[in-house]
Amino acid sequence: MLIVALDAVTTAALLLIISSGLLIVFGVMKIINFAHAAFITVGAYAALVGARLGLPWVLLVPVAFAAGAACGALAEVTIVRRLYQRPLDAILATWGLGIVIGQIVTLIFGREVQFVQAPITGTIELLGVDYSAYRIAMIGAALVVALVFSALLNGTRLGLSTRAVIMNEMLAQGLGVDSARVRLVTFAIGSGLAALSGALITPLSSVDPNMGVPWLISAFMLVMVSGGSLLTLAVSSLVLGGLQVIVSTFVNPILGGLTIAICAAVVLRVRPEGFARA
Amino acid sequence: MTSRALLASFAFVAATGSALAADPIRIGVPVGLSGANSVVAPSVVQSAELAVEEINAKGGILGRPLALDVADDGSGAAGAQKAFDALIFQKKVNVLISMETSAARNAGLPIVARGKTPYIYTSFYEGKSCSPYLYVNAWVPEQQVPPIVDYFNKEKKAKQYFLIGSDYAFGRGMLSFTKAYIEKTGGKVVGEEYLPMDGSDWTSIISKLKASGADAIVTSTAGGAPNVTLTKQLRAAGVSLPYGNLAVDEGTAKSMGADAADIYISASYVTGIDSAANKKFLAAMGKKFGADLKTPNDLSVPEYEGVYAYKAAVEKAGGTDPQKVLAALSEVSVDGPRGTIKMDKQRHAPLTMYLGQVQADGGVKVIQSFPNVDPGAQCPPKS
Amino acid sequence: MPEARQLGQAAAPIGIPTRLWMAALALLIVGGILAAPLLLDTYIVNILIRAFFVAIAAVTVDIVWGYCGTLTFGQSAFFGIGVYALAIIFTEYGFGPWQALLAIATAIVAAAVVAALTGWLSFYPGSSPLYASIVSLVVPIVLVQLVYSGGTFTGSSSGLVGFESFDLELENWFRLAGLSLAAVAVVTLIIMRSDTGRLLKALRDNDERCTYLGVDTSRYRIVVLVLTAIVASLAGFGYAAFGGVAAPENASFTFGTRLIIMVALGGRGTVIGAIVGALSIEVSSAYLSGSLPYVWELIIGIALIAVILAFPDGLVGVIKQLTHGIQPFERGPITRLRPIETAAVKSTDSEIALELKEVGKHFGSLSVLDGVEFVAKRSELLSLVGPNGAGKTTLIRCLSDGRERSTGFVAIAGHAIDRQPPNRIVEFGLGRKFQAASIFEALTVAECLRVARTHRARPSLVSTSIDLELPPAAISVVERSGLLERLDEEARRLSHGLKQALELAMVLSLEPEVLLLDEPTAGLTRAERQAFADILTSLASRDRLCILLVEHDLDFVREISSRIIVLHQGRIALDGSVDAVANSALVREIYTGQQAGDDGKES
Repeated sequence: MLIVALDAVTTAALLLIISSGLLIVFGVMKIINFAHAAFITVGAYAALVGARLGLPWVLLVPVAFAAGAACGALAEVTIVRRLYQRPLDAILATWGLGIVIGQIVTLIFGREVQFVQAPITGTIELLGVDYSAYRIAMIGAALVVALVFSALLNGTRLGLSTRAVIMNEMLAQGLGVDSARVRLVTFAIGSGLAALSGALITPLSSVDPNMGVPWLISAFMLVMVSGGSLLTLAVSSLVLGGLQVIVSTFVNPILGGLTIAICAAVVLRVRPEGFARA
Repeated sequence: MTSRALLASFAFVAATGSALAADPIRIGVPVGLSGANSVVAPSVVQSAELAVEEINAKGGILGRPLALDVADDGSGAAGAQKAFDALIFQKKVNVLISMETSAARNAGLPIVARGKTPYIYTSFYEGKSCSPYLYVNAWVPEQQVPPIVDYFNKEKKAKQYFLIGSDYAFGRGMLSFTKAYIEKTGGKVVGEEYLPMDGSDWTSIISKLKASGADAIVTSTAGGAPNVTLTKQLRAAGVSLPYGNLAVDEGTAKSMGADAADIYISASYVTGIDSAANKKFLAAMGKKFGADLKTPNDLSVPEYEGVYAYKAAVEKAGGTDPQKVLAALSEVSVDGPRGTIKMDKQRHAPLTMYLGQVQADGGVKVIQSFPNVDPGAQCPPKS
Repeated sequence: MPEARQLGQAAAPIGIPTRLWMAALALLIVGGILAAPLLLDTYIVNILIRAFFVAIAAVTVDIVWGYCGTLTFGQSAFFGIGVYALAIIFTEYGFGPWQALLAIATAIVAAAVVAALTGWLSFYPGSSPLYASIVSLVVPIVLVQLVYSGGTFTGSSSGLVGFESFDLELENWFRLAGLSLAAVAVVTLIIMRSDTGRLLKALRDNDERCTYLGVDTSRYRIVVLVLTAIVASLAGFGYAAFGGVAAPENASFTFGTRLIIMVALGGRGTVIGAIVGALSIEVSSAYLSGSLPYVWELIIGIALIAVILAFPDGLVGVIKQLTHGIQPFERGPITRLRPIETAAVKSTDSEIALELKEVGKHFGSLSVLDGVEFVAKRSELLSLVGPNGAGKTTLIRCLSDGRERSTGFVAIAGHAIDRQPPNRIVEFGLGRKFQAASIFEALTVAECLRVARTHRARPSLVSTSIDLELPPAAISVVERSGLLERLDEEARRLSHGLKQALELAMVLSLEPEVLLLDEPTAGLTRAERQAFADILTSLASRDRLCILLVEHDLDFVREISSRIIVLHQGRIALDGSVDAVANSALVREIYTGQQAGDDGKES
C-alpha cells in the first residue's frame, strides 16, 4: 500500500513537472501548444550535449531550460504570434513545429536512443521500503518548479503583468501592460519549462526523437482539467495520476495508461470548469 | 511521430562487376527506413549491399548481375503496402529479402501472393507466419527462449518468473511461449504484465514485480525506447534479479550504459562469434563502409545470408522462375557468419543460438552456445 | 453591387450555361475515372486506389473542420472502425455475401455509436472547440490501444491479414474507388451549398449566436459527426477490402493528423481542396519520400506551418486568388423577400410576458444579483439602468440561459425556464440581442436571416431557396435600415450600424414575445440612434413585444421607455414610470457620477 502511495505521489510529481510549461502557455494565451513534446525532446538533447561537453549535472538543467526558452522565443516570434486570433490554427501550426523540431533532432542526432548518465542512482529506504531515489528526488523537483513558478507569478513585475493578461487582456492593455511582450516571455518560459522537464526525466526515460510524445496527451488533459491554475494542476496531477497508478496496479497497466485521458474527458463533460473553483 | 508510408525511389545498382552486361536480377528490400525500425534499417541495407557487391564481383548469379531496390516501408502496414506494390509491380523485382516489422510483413504477404514473388524474411519474430511464398532464416520463440530459461533454471536456481512486455504481437507472442516453456520446465510465472507499445512509465509494474517474490525476470518489449525506459526504471528501483531480455540488441544495450550490465540475451548472432566466416564478414563490412559502418547485428546479418540463400536457390533451380526457386530454397544451405543455415523446417531454419551477457561497457560476452536449435512446428502441413 | 429591388421581385435563375458547364465537368470526371486505369501503369493505379479512399476520409475531415469549425484528429478512428469491421468479420466468419452485409452493417453501426458517444462528450451547450479537439485526439488513441490488446481477434500490432475479400480486377477497384470519391464529393458539395450547409457555416462562424437563434448547435454537430463517421468508416471498409490488410496505423491519430495536413494544404472548407491535398500528398509521398524519409517529413512540417501562416485557404485558395480576375465571379441566386403572417394569435395586454422571482447570482460569497423580482407585460418597453457593475448584463444572461442564475424563478411568456439551455428558451419566445453585434460575418445578409428562421423553416439539404420569408417586424427593420438593398452582400462588409440592425432583424425573425437588448445604441450615429428608437417603439406598440432594454443613455431611455428599473449593487433600487424614476435622487446621483461607485463585478 505504501508503495502504491509512493508511486502515486511520484507519478503526480512527474506529471506536474511535465505539464507546468504547457499550463502557463495555456493560461496566458488560451492555446494548446502541440509542440510541447518537441520542447521536452529539445531539453533532453540539450542535456545530452551538455553532458558530452563535460558539464556537471546541476548545470544541465538550466542549460536545457535555456535551450528550450530560446527555441520557444524563436517560435513565438516567427509563428505563434501571428495566430493568436486563430487558436485552432495555432494548434496546427505548433503541431507542424513539433514535426519540424523532431525531424531536425533526427537529422542531427539520428533516430537511435541516446545515453545520458543519471545523477542519482539506486534506491533509498523510506518507511521500511526500498524506493527509487530518483523518483523521490522528483517530488522535490516538482516542489521547486511549483515554488519558482508561483514566485515568478506573484513576486515579480512580469508576473503581475502576466496575471493581469490572464484575467482580462483588454483591461491589462488598457493599463499599459505590453501584452505582446508578456506573451513572448510566457511562451519562452513555457517552452523552457518543457525542456527542463525533458532534462529531468532523462534518467527514467529513453532519449530519442519521439521521447516526448507519450507524455503529451496526459499533459494536455491535465492542463484542460486544471483550468489554468497551478494549484488545480497540482490537484489534478495528484488525483488523476493517483488514479492512473491505482488502475495500473489493481486492474491493468494498459487501462492505466488511458486513465488520465478518459477520466479527464468525462470530468470536463460533466463539469466543464474541471477542477477549477472546486 | 508522423510515420509516413513511403517508398523508395532510389535504386542502388551495384555495378562492380565489369563484364556483367546481362539483364540484372533485381532484389527488393522493403525495410523500415522511417518509423520504429529506422534505427536498425541502415545496418540491414548495408548487409544487403555487401552481399550484392561480393556476388557481383564474382560474376553474379548464372552470369547475371544483382541489382538492389530498397524501399521504405515506414515500419508499418500502410507503408509496406506501398513499398511492396512499388517493388513488385513497378520495379518488378525477382525476390524480396528483408527485415521488417510483423505488421509490414503481414501487409506485404497478399501483395507477394498476387505478384507470385519469393519472399525471404530475415527478422526474428513471434512465429507461425505461413505462406507458400515466405521463407524465414531468423529465429522464432522456440529457438530463442529456451537458452535463457534453461540457464536461469539451472545456474540461477530460478523458480518464480515475472514477465514484462509491450502490448503488441511480438511482446505477447514471445511471453506466451515463454510462460508455457517455464511451466513445462517446472518453474512458475508469478506475474505477467504489459504496457502499451509507446508506454514509458513502468512504475506500477515494477512495484508489482518487487512485491511478487519473483527470482528472475524475462522481458519482451518493443525495441528501442520501451526497452531503455524499462531497464532504466528497473535499475533505478534497485531491481537486480537475473534479467533475461528477449528484445534487446547489442546496439541498444550500448545506449543504456551501465544500466544494461548483466542483462542476458539470446541471439543467433553476436559480433563476438569466434568463427572464420564471421571474422571475414566483419572485416569486409569494415572495409566497405569504414566510419559509416552500422554495427552488424542479429537483424542485419540474416539479410546478408538471405541474399546468399537466394543465390544458391537460383543456381540450383537454374533460373529465377519463382516456383522453382521457392522449391529450391528449402534445399540449399548457406555458410555465413551465423554458421550453416538451411531453411528446411517448414520454411524456417534450425539455428545455432548464443546466450550472452551484457557487460558494463555495453559489449556482449557469449556464455554458452546451443547448436542447431530446432524452430519447431511453425507451419505444419494442413491435413 | 447587387441592384436594389422591391419586395417580391423575381429572381434570376441559375444561368443555363452554368448547368451545362457543370454537367460537362461531371461527364469529364466520370469518363476520366472509367478510362484512367487503362492508361496508367499498375503501380500508380494501386497508389491511386488507396489515395481515393484516403481522400474520402479527408473530405469528412473537411466537413467537420473546414465547414463546421471543429478541428478533429479523430476521423482516422472511424476509418479504422471500417477497416477492422471488415477484417475481423471476414477473418472470423469467412467471406460471403452475408458476411459482407454483416461487415458493412457493423462498420456503419459501430462508427455511428462511437461518433455519437464522442459527440456527446465533445459538444454540449458551452463546450469549447479546444476541448472538442482534444477529445477527438483521445478517440483514436483509445481505439488503437484496444486493437493492440485484442490479441488474435484484432491481430494486435501485426494487424489482420490473409482473409478472403472481394475479388475485383484492379481496374474495377480503381473505378469503384474513384466513383465513390466523386459521389462523396458531389453530395458533400450539394449539401454544403444548400441551406443546411449555410447553417453549418453559421455554426462555425458564431456558435453562440446560433444557440440564441434557437438552434440546438450541439445536436447539429453530433449529427454531422455521426454522418461523417459513417462515411469515413465506409472509406476504411473499401480501403481494407482492396488492400486485404487491417493495421493499427489505419486508425491511429498519426493518420488523423495526416488527414488534417492534407485538408490544410489543399484548402479547407472547399471539398476540392481536401481531395487535391489527399491525392497530391499520397502520390507525391509514394514517389519522393522513399529517397528522403526524414527530409520528406521535414518538408511536410514546414509546408504545414507555411500554409497556416501565409495561405490559410491552402492550395485551392491560392489558385482562386490567382484566377480571381479571370473567372467571372459566380453570384448566387438573388434573394426574394416575402412577408409571412405571424401565426400566433396575440393575446391581450394583460398577459404577462416576463416574470422574475427572487433571482440571484452568486460567486461564492459574492452576490452579483440578489432578490431581483419584477413582472413585465406585452407592449411594455422596459429599460434597465444602473451604474457599471450593477449586474445588468448578468441579469440579461440569467433570463436567457437557464443555467446562469444561482437562485430564483424566471418565466418567459408563461414558461418556466428551469435550467434549460438558451436554444430551448428561445423556443419559449425569447430573443436576445448582444451588446456587440453578433452576426455571421462570412454569410450574406439574406443567409444570416435565413439561419434565424431555422426554427420555423427546416433548411433544405439539397437546395438554396430564393425566397426569404420573414415576419413583418423583421421585414420592417430590413426595409427601414437599408439592408434591403444589400441582402446578397457578405455581412462582414456592413457598417457597424447596419450590423446592429441586421442582428435585430435576425432576432425579430424568431418572432419573439420578449426582446432583450443589451446597449443596442452604443457606437451608433445620432441618426441611426433615432431610427433605432422609432423601430423599438413601433415594435412595442404595433407588434406588441415586451422589450427589456439595458441602456446607459438616459435621454434615449427617457424618450422611448414605458417604465424604468434601476439596478444597483445587484438589487432593484427603483421600479416605476419614466418620470418618477428619471427624476429620482438616486438616478441623478448615479448619472452625475457621484457617490454611487463601481462596487461589483460585471462578469
